Amino acid sequence: MANMNRDSRHLLISEIDHERDPGPMNIQFESSDLRSKRPFYIEPTNIVNVNHVIQRVSDHASAMNKRIHYYSRLTTPADKALIAPDHVVPAPEECYVYSPLGSAYKLQSYTEGYGKNTSLVTIFMIWNTMMGTSILSIPWGIKQAGFTTGMCVIILMGLLTLYCCYRVVKSRTMISSLDTTTWEYPDVCRHYFGSFGQWSSLLFSLVSLIGAMIVYWVLMSNFLFNTGKFIFNFIHHINDTDTILSTNNSNPVICPSAGSGGHPDNSSMIFYANDTGAQQFEKWWDKSRTVPFYLVGLLLPLLNFKSPSFFSKFNILGTVSVLYLIFLVTFKAVRLGFHLEFHWFIPTEFFVPEIRLQFPQLTGVLTLAFFIHNCIITLLKNNKKQENNVRDLCIAYMLVTLTYLYIGVLVFASFPSPPLSKDCIEQNFLDNFPSSDILSFIARIFLLFQMMTVYPLLGYLARVQLLGHIFGDIYPSIFHVLILNLIIVGAGVIMACFYPNIGGIIRYSGAACGLAFVFIYPSLIYIISLHQEERLTWPKLIFHVFIIVLGVANLIVQFFM
Amino acid sequence: MPNTAMKKKVLLMGKSGSGKTSMRSIIFANYIARDTRRLGATIDVEHSHVRFLGNLVLNLWDCGGQDTFMENYFTSQRDNIFRNVEVLIYVFDVESREPEKDVHYYQPCLEAILQNSPDAKIFCLVHKMDLVQEDQRDLIFKEREEDLRRLSRPLECACFRTSIWDETLYKAWSSIVYQLIPNVQQLEMNLRNFAQIIEADEVLLFERATFLVISHYQCKEQRDVHRFEKISNIIKQFKLSCSKLAASFQSMEVRNSNFAAFIDIFTSNTYVMVVMSDPSIPSAATLINIRNARKHFEKLERVDGPKHSLLMR
Repeated sequence: MANMNRDSRHLLISEIDHERDPGPMNIQFESSDLRSKRPFYIEPTNIVNVNHVIQRVSDHASAMNKRIHYYSRLTTPADKALIAPDHVVPAPEECYVYSPLGSAYKLQSYTEGYGKNTSLVTIFMIWNTMMGTSILSIPWGIKQAGFTTGMCVIILMGLLTLYCCYRVVKSRTMISSLDTTTWEYPDVCRHYFGSFGQWSSLLFSLVSLIGAMIVYWVLMSNFLFNTGKFIFNFIHHINDTDTILSTNNSNPVICPSAGSGGHPDNSSMIFYANDTGAQQFEKWWDKSRTVPFYLVGLLLPLLNFKSPSFFSKFNILGTVSVLYLIFLVTFKAVRLGFHLEFHWFIPTEFFVPEIRLQFPQLTGVLTLAFFIHNCIITLLKNNKKQENNVRDLCIAYMLVTLTYLYIGVLVFASFPSPPLSKDCIEQNFLDNFPSSDILSFIARIFLLFQMMTVYPLLGYLARVQLLGHIFGDIYPSIFHVLILNLIIVGAGVIMACFYPNIGGIIRYSGAACGLAFVFIYPSLIYIISLHQEERLTWPKLIFHVFIIVLGVANLIVQFFM
Repeated sequence: MPNTAMKKKVLLMGKSGSGKTSMRSIIFANYIARDTRRLGATIDVEHSHVRFLGNLVLNLWDCGGQDTFMENYFTSQRDNIFRNVEVLIYVFDVESREPEKDVHYYQPCLEAILQNSPDAKIFCLVHKMDLVQEDQRDLIFKEREEDLRRLSRPLECACFRTSIWDETLYKAWSSIVYQLIPNVQQLEMNLRNFAQIIEADEVLLFERATFLVISHYQCKEQRDVHRFEKISNIIKQFKLSCSKLAASFQSMEVRNSNFAAFIDIFTSNTYVMVVMSDPSIPSAATLINIRNARKHFEKLERVDGPKHSLLMR
């Protein structure tokens, strides 16, 4: 009815117009009015000379713009009926923001890494992040577990942690009631377990971070010491005729802990005759007494920086170090040859049995070696094809497992067993090469530099998580930050002085933080979400409870080994 | 309902959720008054009184109702619905998961048309084409077109592929309107004469309710192929703004140093847009020309007599 009236009014008006003298029926165009009538959005093509066409907006885009404007007038803001779907509007990287001052710029947050990584890049990033210093302890872990058991354990742990990682990735999608696109795994834990979940995930995350930082400090002291010793020996042309047990050929391998009955000790027994200079050097350059403190002067200032983005540029050093280690191990294996003998249960003078009861030490190390669960969601978020996430994750885990297997098996197999016992394999396998060996010297330098650039990053992460949650501000004041850094560095120094067994530190911290992030949280959250959806079946429940029990056992048994 | 026997109908039909309400809202510049996630199908014969091409009334029907009540109502009212139909526009959702069911509901409509309004023109719109990947669109549309042509025999149907997110919807409806005008060639010739006399760059003739382009004349190549739809959207948006102030849009002049454009009511069912690129010609001259042409074109419509009811008042 209303439309009819309107239409008939139309006719009336046009009739009247026929009689009236039609003056200029146009918009008022007095210049004084001009500014008040000027629109704030003008398509440039409309006001330039038709002849020179500076087309900044394509016809297609301009038509789409008008279309969207018009459609938006047809509905209420709450109605979603005529909202342009994503496949119709330009992609985020084609959007420009026009400032009224005349310039146009792209929004950085739109274009930066927004789902733009190909599968290959994602797989590489996952591999790179997972490859840590635990690679140095894998041969020792295989030795502790026995060769056959070691290989089986590595593969099984890889599969188990892969499954738990898959659970972590899928945990976000099971929450349908909220928008979880910006969530990381601690947010998921908080959703399910309340603030207890948030605090406990923070605590365990800190355990892994601080454990890693302590290991780094021990290793850095080690590498710095060896590097310094190499340089000193090189300059003074001292030939290290150690009384340390070693092989007598061009590829020396040493057994540092043989003399002290299996107790890892940091003093090397070198005797120099009448050489006070070297003795002075010995006094001031000691692996456990002095070098850790020199590092303090080097690294403590770096820890206090507000933003470590400078250090993230050195990320590539990590990859280079791992690749170099692979090369080093291959080279040494070629030179030394394989020395394997299979004794199943009884240890011999030079070999260890294939199946040993200390294999949980290997599982502890591997829990940290395969740990990426607290940041996997962020890494996969930038994958261009999200549907390939699971496939890429599996490929990455497979590559990591292969790398660990390769290095572990080669070092173990090529360890020269007739003169030395397999039991000599150190928790840091580079320790089995004397400090005069050039190739391992290069490896130590690489790793030293890499660790010195990663250490401030780890410190930053720990600071952000701890201070951010306690004080709400990631940089409350220089004093807070300084105290935190002193505590962390102090812990590292103490460990480097009194308990420099990186294998031990790795397995304790690995089992502890793995307990939460790898075993308990993913399985528990899956069980709870299934229960909420009424899809929980007995096999699934039993399987996931079994995983939780494995995790707890993993931690407990570390203390008995 | 005695009045509906006099008015000829345009039936807009299709399965529930195929996009008819959005389409109608966009073409006719009506507000979508309610949430389109409806719980029930559209049951409303008096749905719109939009006058379209003179005295045509647009009726919107959902086909393929959700329950037997709808089915029964539809069947019992069938003759009423399909009598006096000038145009049947049937909308198919290209993403439909049950294409056989779509056909199942389309065929009874065809039968009813054959019985009650055998002279009706039939148009089939394959809608929501933006959901199909670009390189597959032509192929899929050709398949559907063949199927529909085959199914519609002995009636003739014209098929279009449409999407509300590109220019295809506007073009399809413009083609439909073009085919509904009986003397469109004569109209175009007169329009060309008119344009050449007044030395215009371009002259467009719009349908009054929907601003669909009925015919146009241009004396030189224009760069923007989307300009018809853009003008239509701009004016419809302006009409919506005017209606908020209880004002009705009648005419518009846009002028700058490069051109002058005049949009004005022309005949009782059309609007005209005249674009002059010679800024030295004063507005008054063009407006007088338009006024005189108006009288001529109205005579044209009346000359065609009562047989061609489309453009009659």
